[in-house]
Amino acid sequence: MKQPFIPDFFCQLIDQPVNTLVDQAQAQGRKAIAYTCSYVPQPLLSVDGLFPIRVRAPNVVGTPMADTYMSSVLCSYTRSILELALEWAFDSIDGWVFTASCDHLRRLYDNLEYLNKPAFNHIVDLPHRSGEAAEKWLASEFRILADALSQAFGVDTGDQALAKAIKVHNQYLTLMREISAMRMEDNPPVTGAMFQTLLAATSSSPKDLLMDQLGELRDTLGKSEGVTGYRARLLLAGSHCDDPAYIEVMEKTGGLVVAERTCTGSIPALSPIPENGDPFETLARQGLENISCPRMMESFQQREEELLEAVKEYRAEGVVLQTMKFCDTWGVESGLLTKSLRKAGIPVLNLEREYTMSSEGQLQTRIQAFLESMGK
Amino acid sequence: MRLQDLKKADTSLADKAVYARYRLEALGSFAKLLRHGPAKMREIFSWDWLRTLSGSSNLLDMATYTRSGLYREANAYAISEVIGGIGDLIDGICAMPDRVVIHEDLIPPEIFFGMGLAPFMAEMLGIAVPLVKADWAEKYIDIAENEGIPPDTCSLPKCTMGIALAGQMPKCAALVASNMPCDGGMASYTVLEREMKVPCFRLDIPYNFYNDKALDYFVSELKRLIAWLEEHTPGRMDWDRMKEVCEERNRAMEYELEIWELIRRKPTPMAGEPLWLVHLIHMIANAGKPRGTRTMKNILDMTKKIMENGGGALPEERYRAVLWNPPTLIFPELFVWAEQKYGIALLMDMLSYNRHPFVDTTSPDTMLRSLAQIIVQGPMARHTRGPSENFFDDLFYLYEYFSLDMIWMAGHIGCKNTMALNGMFREKCRERGIPLFTLNYDLSDTRIVSPIEMRKQAEAFMETVMKAEPLF
Repeated sequence: MKQPFIPDFFCQLIDQPVNTLVDQAQAQGRKAIAYTCSYVPQPLLSVDGLFPIRVRAPNVVGTPMADTYMSSVLCSYTRSILELALEWAFDSIDGWVFTASCDHLRRLYDNLEYLNKPAFNHIVDLPHRSGEAAEKWLASEFRILADALSQAFGVDTGDQALAKAIKVHNQYLTLMREISAMRMEDNPPVTGAMFQTLLAATSSSPKDLLMDQLGELRDTLGKSEGVTGYRARLLLAGSHCDDPAYIEVMEKTGGLVVAERTCTGSIPALSPIPENGDPFETLARQGLENISCPRMMESFQQREEELLEAVKEYRAEGVVLQTMKFCDTWGVESGLLTKSLRKAGIPVLNLEREYTMSSEGQLQTRIQAFLESMGK
Repeated sequence: MRLQDLKKADTSLADKAVYARYRLEALGSFAKLLRHGPAKMREIFSWDWLRTLSGSSNLLDMATYTRSGLYREANAYAISEVIGGIGDLIDGICAMPDRVVIHEDLIPPEIFFGMGLAPFMAEMLGIAVPLVKADWAEKYIDIAENEGIPPDTCSLPKCTMGIALAGQMPKCAALVASNMPCDGGMASYTVLEREMKVPCFRLDIPYNFYNDKALDYFVSELKRLIAWLEEHTPGRMDWDRMKEVCEERNRAMEYELEIWELIRRKPTPMAGEPLWLVHLIHMIANAGKPRGTRTMKNILDMTKKIMENGGGALPEERYRAVLWNPPTLIFPELFVWAEQKYGIALLMDMLSYNRHPFVDTTSPDTMLRSLAQIIVQGPMARHTRGPSENFFDDLFYLYEYFSLDMIWMAGHIGCKNTMALNGMFREKCRERGIPLFTLNYDLSDTRIVSPIEMRKQAEAFMETVMKAEPLF
């Protein structure tokens, strides 16, 4: 498969848990706020000198210390983050914001608080359903977070500041959506691994410091030759997956990942945020309606339908459903989704994985066999 | 481990008569189902779990084999009432087949009773049947895993899903679930809903619930539940009936709180199954029924009698313990053995230790508010969903309150919530000088850790950490 490539500028940003752009922004007096879950509203962490970074644990080698506290039966994303936190990798970060989204993230919050207490550590109480009462609840939780941020960092987290942050965030989302839309083409100028690199790099950096490069990249990609020689268009669905290397293995084998329906991927995270109305309520509604994690206990059918729709929209020929080991919500749901996809005649490959890329050969064999089973 | 490995109690004729009496009563609890006629009997006895439960005398044997006198009677009585409570629930299903609501384990049934519905706790099967046949759940765990449920998901929801997938769950009008007690439990209801093809309602319980905002939110959830049940089932809320149910619950609770006060004494006048197993059925699965009140009262009376006789429940009480996390379902004999071998009195466990707010029955609103409080602060709900302080603070409070000598942590491998707290908890116990025994096991699957291995772990702890001399 002939592939375009992505500038080193973006690749280098994902090599370290805290990258150089974060240091640069902090040197200007800005505050880095770490988060671990898509339900944390990025615009709220982007007001008045704050900037959000979605924490990753690149190159983590084993999690012995985290296992001692969290046990080895917790999801390896949370253990990897705790391990790096215990190695002081995140000590330069100014604050952390969690959501009570799943068993694992809640316990990561507890353990971090106990073992390496951040100066600012906040957990948002997140409803498990959507609807009016839940939106009201979440909006009030976001206001509590806003007050806490304002108190801790002396920043303006009022309605106007937030509305402005939403507007700026939408500019980022528009750019990313434009790049993502290119993946619908027959020969897209961007591969899945490239796009994941962009997502990981931009979500773990102060976005304003890379918007110019992102804009340039969009223009360049628009004029580039597309990927040729791939065997099948694939859609990646399932758990948190922020490692482009994982997708790269699939693409090396001939599958082209054209969209990701994951909390770290393109759908539905890049949907624009409405700019009218009460900004806290808007963020709450957006969060509860648009981010589809199986922790939302009432919306299996919606997730099922949206997945089938995404397959059509991106003309995916097969779905790779990857779940992080020990994640119960995805673990239970993937069995049901597999049935639905098969019923709809869509080939599906179930993969259980750890956060850190391992067993590359095994993964390649599975993908190869999957493509062959699809007649590709 | 078999009962025969234990030392049989020297029993008098009266002790033998106690066994016979309660064995008959337990049988009677299932025999009463015959009134529903042969067709119904064929239907319900097609359920593997019911055949297993009704044909077994294990629980009664376990509760009486090593015990004599009043303590034996209290245990035998408790078991017969536990079986009676389960019998009542099945009787309800048979009597009102169009009103059956299957609900998740941490949702108390008072609202369903108030609406004239027949509640049935889905997880009760995975809890109660392994108590009488340790490896029973394994078949259903395998069925769930063969349908793609991950092996690392908690074996209790896995067993529940397996039962539904095998078509062994009673037919129902609706399912009621929640986001408790864990992700696995919550997710399992999607499988139940799809498999049983019935509508499912899910209650949303906040993470931080010790505040008015959370209670207001949860009361609105309960109102939403009632409206939904009225739409999807023939049940209608009758607030007078609801009041009776809540008052009955309050009465039972008063007795239970009095028992808890008495067991603070050394030696304790009551321990073991009359405390934890009775609570599980009569304060959780079948709360608000006269049988529960009667059971609590009779156990209280027996507790008082043991006290008046001047001794404790155990022949020789050497240690006092709490068992945290759900009880060891595949090995309920563990504490019978520990009681006899080392003189350990089991006083409290996680599922029993409710905060027990009384239901204020002044008005429908006050009832809902109290029930909301009971649910959000319910055992396990507050420990596995809420912040870690809820888990630690309860245990340290219990340690002091009941003058305990050690904490037994049932380290169920499938419980990610509590497994992730064990590291912190170990250090906190060390700081306080509290002996902590973490028992590695799986709640419902003997293939992960066998009962013999569990016993060996307990022996190693008692003999190396507690330096305990076996009593036999």
